Amino acid sequence: MNETLHVVQKLSDWRARALEFEQEIQKAVIGQARVVRLVTICIFARGHVLIEGDVGVGKTTLLRAVSRALGGDFARVEGTVDMMPSDILYHTYLGEDGRPRVDPSELLRHAETLPVFFFNEINRARPQVHSLLLRLMAERSVSAFNRVHHFPYLNVFADRNMVEREETFELPAAARDRFLMEILMAAPDDEDARRRLVFDPAFHDTETLLERVSAGTLDYRETPAIARAIQTHVRSSDALERYVLNLWQALVEPSSAGVSLPDVDLDSLVKGGASPRGLAALVRAARVRAWLEGRDYLVPEDVRDVFIEVMAHRIFVDPIHALRGDDIVKRLCRAAFDATPVP
Amino acid sequence: MRIACVALMLAAALPAFAQETTVRIRSARPFGYFVGDLIHARIDVSAPADAVLSRASLPNPGPLTGSLDLRDVKLSDSSESGARLWRLDLTYQNFYVALDARDIEIPGFELSISTATGAQTVAVPAWRIGVSPLREIAPQKQEQASDYLRPDGSSAFVDEATPLNLAFGAGAAALLALALVARDRAWPPFQQRKARVFSALARQISTRRAADDANLAVAIQSVHRALDQANGAILLSGDLPEFLRRRPEFKPLRADFERFFETSKRLFFGGESSKDDSAAEQLAQFVGRLARQERAG
Repeated sequence: MNETLHVVQKLSDWRARALEFEQEIQKAVIGQARVVRLVTICIFARGHVLIEGDVGVGKTTLLRAVSRALGGDFARVEGTVDMMPSDILYHTYLGEDGRPRVDPSELLRHAETLPVFFFNEINRARPQVHSLLLRLMAERSVSAFNRVHHFPYLNVFADRNMVEREETFELPAAARDRFLMEILMAAPDDEDARRRLVFDPAFHDTETLLERVSAGTLDYRETPAIARAIQTHVRSSDALERYVLNLWQALVEPSSAGVSLPDVDLDSLVKGGASPRGLAALVRAARVRAWLEGRDYLVPEDVRDVFIEVMAHRIFVDPIHALRGDDIVKRLCRAAFDATPVP
Repeated sequence: MRIACVALMLAAALPAFAQETTVRIRSARPFGYFVGDLIHARIDVSAPADAVLSRASLPNPGPLTGSLDLRDVKLSDSSESGARLWRLDLTYQNFYVALDARDIEIPGFELSISTATGAQTVAVPAWRIGVSPLREIAPQKQEQASDYLRPDGSSAFVDEATPLNLAFGAGAAALLALALVARDRAWPPFQQRKARVFSALARQISTRRAADDANLAVAIQSVHRALDQANGAILLSGDLPEFLRRRPEFKPLRADFERFFETSKRLFFGGESSKDDSAAEQLAQFVGRLARQERAG
């Protein structure tokens, strides 16, 4: 009993700090409250993130602010078409004596203290690199220099270049399924935020901007324990579990659940995805949201709030629809919500 | 028929039926007829109770003399104090152009009656009326022939505006009333009117008041389904602002909506049971208010 009270108290303290963490991030990244909330959910759900967004909307700034607020290191690689897995793990150079040297890369050097690893333009990298990343994400470990390196606090953030198709390698389904969320980051809608971003010199210099964020608002070393506590503490009622299963059914067999979209044959639309891992990820993210909202039980709004970010990138549709982007998947998700009664 | 009792009365006394058969002839007046006038006569024939009148013996309408036509014959049959009474209403028309006042004769005729004792003939005797000449009026000498004519009567002026306005007003009111009834009953063209889901729900909820948690859960679910129907999609509490923007008639109930969603959340997802007995009452009131706003909107 005492232990439960202790956990409740601890979760409550951590919630206050998580909200403070969000505030800190928003000092550097303005007009992106929802993106910041989703990133916070990913950190406490221990999930990796795909970030989709135009160039220059502040993805790197956001991630550097996150790593600073978490008090850990930050590593970043740029995906290129000629990149090999070893480029991520090893740093090769000529030493002062003229001999080739191989040192651990930035990623390996910071392994134990790295909460944020940013992989920019991940789809420019080859499938070999993707497979290394798969292991890194799934097991939080890689093999290098004949030993296994662990990354206990790692969250991978990857950006996909959705503009060009030349010399890009689409992420395999398995790799996409490993990402907890795909977060869309667009320029803020708010006019005031837009004006400040363009005219306020504070937003022109990332280094000084990041100094606004107090370092170590959260301790990244504690996040795994908190994440576990959240998952065991936040309850899901029968009605909610039924609701999530109905939603799943609506995605897998839309027509049987009464879901319909104009001009689309739903029987042949969904080709894959919506895996049990996907649904588990959905509930994990929803639980974190419920905790952030100050509840110890799940409600349908929690599920719906994170649904598109968690599920849309895992659902694979018929290629004829895939050419039109992921809009159809988002429409399908919304239609599933509109057709699934609750409670 | 204006037959008074200024009648000339003729009693035909027949030898065998002296007591039983009588004939009375009555007319409006026995004088003062001009050419073209109708002469109405009523002839009452009373006979023994078992007597039968032969209809073939009735006079036929048509010219009787050179200046007298029979226009119409009506027979009515009745019984009166043990005797049979036939009433003949005859209409004559006089065409005699009299030059001075004189009597002319209305010819008599015979009726055939059969009784137990055999066939008998009853004679209706001829009778006389006085006819008078049409005398010319000697007017004052006029110069123009048209001056002898009297002017036409002036036509009365009728104001049509008021009755016309009243008629249009009443017509418009009737159409408006019809439109209101049609809207209320969702007759065409109002069949597209939004279905009154909450009114139906209010009736349903008021008939089965939720007493325990299970019933309350069912009632809350039915309210959720009605809200979904009104929203056109599943309505969660997060959709409330958008819903109220689209259905502004429910805006005054914002606090009720929030309370309802909170109760529903706690019951279905928070695992709390509603200890509060008033929850069912509150729910019924909420639905009642929804129905009222729906009707108003």
